[in-house]
Amino acid sequence: MGTRKMQQDKQASLISQPCPEWEQWLTLFAAGEEEEIEPGKRGEVAAHLSECAQCSNSLQREQELLSVLTAHRDEPDAGLLASCRASLEDALDREEEGSWLWRTLSSILPANWLSPRPAFSAAVLIMIGFAVGILGPRMFRQPAQPPATETASSNSDPAAPATGANTDSKTGNTMDPVSSAIGSLDLHSADLAGLNILPSDGGEMPQVQFQLKAQQPVTIQGNVDNENVESVLLYILRNGDRFCPDVRLNAVDLLRARASDPNVRSALCHAVRSDSNAAVRLKAIEALNNSAQPNQDIVRQTLLNALVEDDNPGVRVEAINALRDMAAKGEVSGDDETVSILRDRMEKDPNNYIRLQSAATISDLGPRAKF
Amino acid sequence: MSMSIALDGDARQEAAAKRAEEQAIVQKAQAGDRMAFEELVRRYDRDVLRLAMNLVHRPEDAKDIYQEGFLRVYRNLHRFRFECSFYTWVYRIVTNVALDHLRRKNSRREDQAPVPEEAAGGTRDFFDRQPEMHASANPEKRLLGSELGEHINEAMKRLSPRERMVFEMKHHQGMRLRAIGDILGTSEETVKNSLFRATRKLRASLDSIR
Repeated sequence: MGTRKMQQDKQASLISQPCPEWEQWLTLFAAGEEEEIEPGKRGEVAAHLSECAQCSNSLQREQELLSVLTAHRDEPDAGLLASCRASLEDALDREEEGSWLWRTLSSILPANWLSPRPAFSAAVLIMIGFAVGILGPRMFRQPAQPPATETASSNSDPAAPATGANTDSKTGNTMDPVSSAIGSLDLHSADLAGLNILPSDGGEMPQVQFQLKAQQPVTIQGNVDNENVESVLLYILRNGDRFCPDVRLNAVDLLRARASDPNVRSALCHAVRSDSNAAVRLKAIEALNNSAQPNQDIVRQTLLNALVEDDNPGVRVEAINALRDMAAKGEVSGDDETVSILRDRMEKDPNNYIRLQSAATISDLGPRAKF
Repeated sequence: MSMSIALDGDARQEAAAKRAEEQAIVQKAQAGDRMAFEELVRRYDRDVLRLAMNLVHRPEDAKDIYQEGFLRVYRNLHRFRFECSFYTWVYRIVTNVALDHLRRKNSRREDQAPVPEEAAGGTRDFFDRQPEMHASANPEKRLLGSELGEHINEAMKRLSPRERMVFEMKHHQGMRLRAIGDILGTSEETVKNSLFRATRKLRASLDSIR
């Protein structure tokens, strides 16, 4: 019985062997590239196909083969894709932080323009070096200041001490001391000497006070709506390894009220992905869950990534809870990627609660996300 | 007849609108809009990752290629002048990254055992010199549980990296042979030959299961 089947297969295979001189053209026909063949040759191939049963069968079998192969298309694992996207976002964050100077220089002096002119390039670079050496210190020299600590206050809170406010004697305009303080301050080289949170009355936002140790010590005070306060808090989240977990936790807590701001959301997502402390990651997820914004793609991606990648079950539980909340509010759609990751967690997560919640979230996502 | 002309016209208009939309997003990204860049990444990254997986077969290596590829796209975005489609440009970068990756991994072997040029027809380039992948050590393939899937995977493994890449771009990503040649920096004729060899090998491998 088996032998007969093998003989039949062999016979079928021989029957469908194409004529060797036409074989390559049949491949192009099967690949849908017949338009790339010259019209004359295309006509010849078509005429041959109508006359030759072997070639015609072979073409048909090749088309069947291709449809089988394309049906078994190997999709990348959704978890891997999510992990790639998260890593890329981190890499882009680092790229943006580090490369502004290089980009500025290369836009002024494009490498492909300078490289063929080595002598001229060297002369230009030496001149730039001299110019920076001579003019730089003059431009950045600060007027003499008393060694006392400068206190900058938020304009948004009239009750806060306004010790740093100056008035221009010529125009009478009030200068913003906070901007001047933080504008001249390089946060990369400053250390945080203290962070105090001063509770306020009623439902108002608490006041935050930072003492920054730098060449010129600076104290910044204001609520989270203050641009400078927000900048420092964002810096803390984006450079978590420079600060202790308590400070990072406070930063997340304070920024929670501003989670609808895209910059804050991005910093919170960064904390979820990269903070070494599970409590910070967990709190950042809570803060993201509170943000009511229509464009939640970055949040969804971050939560999915935490669900797949985070080693801490508490963080994963918070991530699936947040995803479920978002699904209930219609902020997550049942797209293939989301469903695929949830299904993966439903089957593989070691935590029973996460497996159950993943299944429940899939069912919340509606008919497109059915099992 | 007139209906089909109208449909062609609609399709062309739709394609032109898509191109214009993409051009606007690329311009935004070139102006430093990070969200626009991420939108571009989302459009192509699944295809890029699939291509990388088919080429290197290890998720960690594919992830490296993905990241390095898109970082190069990001760094060189200001150099993109709309002379080809953005898709083609991204692919050109990613295939170069994949090539560098394979070259790094195989440099010692290449130095010690140079492979002579192929005697008849077609040129042998780096892709052709890569060792063909055989069985085992291929975790992602385990995901395909069916017997047919396994047969197909085995057959795909018998293709050379270049043949696999051409086949992937042609039949899974629906690219034209000319565009594939453009991306790989080779002639359309060479791409045709690779596709022909790939199809013939697959036909021979899978004949028994049909």
